[in-house]
Amino acid sequence: MMKRGAIAILPLAFGAAVYGFAFGLLAAQVGFPWWGVGLMSISVHAGSSQIVAVEQLASTGTVLGAVLAAAALNLRYVGIIASLSDVLDGLSLRAKLLAIHVTGDENWALTMAERAKSPDVGAAFLLGSGFVMISVWTVSTTAGAVIGATLPDLERFGLGFAFTAAFIAMARGLWRGRSQALPWVVAAAATVAVVSFGLPKAYGIVTGALCGLAVRALLRRMKAVIA
Amino acid sequence: MSGAHWALIGLLAMAAVAIRVAGLIAGGRLRASRHAWVLDDLPGLIVVSLVASSLVGQPPVTWVAAGAALGIAILTNHVIVTMLAGVAAYAGLGWLGM
Repeated sequence: MMKRGAIAILPLAFGAAVYGFAFGLLAAQVGFPWWGVGLMSISVHAGSSQIVAVEQLASTGTVLGAVLAAAALNLRYVGIIASLSDVLDGLSLRAKLLAIHVTGDENWALTMAERAKSPDVGAAFLLGSGFVMISVWTVSTTAGAVIGATLPDLERFGLGFAFTAAFIAMARGLWRGRSQALPWVVAAAATVAVVSFGLPKAYGIVTGALCGLAVRALLRRMKAVIA
Repeated sequence: MSGAHWALIGLLAMAAVAIRVAGLIAGGRLRASRHAWVLDDLPGLIVVSLVASSLVGQPPVTWVAAGAALGIAILTNHVIVTMLAGVAAYAGLGWLGM
């Protein structure tokens, strides 16, 4: 079953490799050594979160702000891992910790989809697909960083904008419907206001996200009252 | 690699482990609580705020390129395609003298 998971994930692993290579290239361009990128990939294993951390460190220079923004982006894993409780049931603690570390968006989604079709798909499938994903992610990001370090400074060709474009694409992926529109607009406006006042970007991002959450909470309460 | 790089990797790795372990231990309870919506909503709000913070004070070319990237993102919902198209738009606009 582990082998089945490892084979089934290959097409998705290819997609992650392209993304990983691009991330490694960008990270090297903003000063990360290749082995630092590899170390980060194997120890953190969360793509979008790593991109945010590297970009934030490069643009703001504050470690804590970068870690907080990146960790907040990773909060969805609380839900992802929680949804695996049936799959992980019966494993030893060590195996559980290993399984949750190798769990990423792709192999989680594939395991859940396959399990819905056949209930014998479980922890072995998750582990097999997870080992492939974390290996491919680590190797591709490191390879990207090795190549990126040999290239000249690509900033003048607009490479720095690649981060912004990546964030825009991530936002698109996180869009769930019109109920998010107003909170998102408020979050963006609050961020722009804070940064325009000359405060650090990291404060702007935290303020923006908190304002967005406040509006979302207000909208939820209004909806509950109307209903 | 500087101390800041080491600190970033170390802290982020700890945060990633803590978040996954929180899912393992308290995930079910958190998901079932009345605050579960925060877990769903916060990532999107963070990313939108990140985009806004990277556009503040930038020249028009960056805003136009961001608009182009948004259009591509809506159409394709694909990170790599959006990155390539966004950088191409940015470089193209610069070349046109914007």
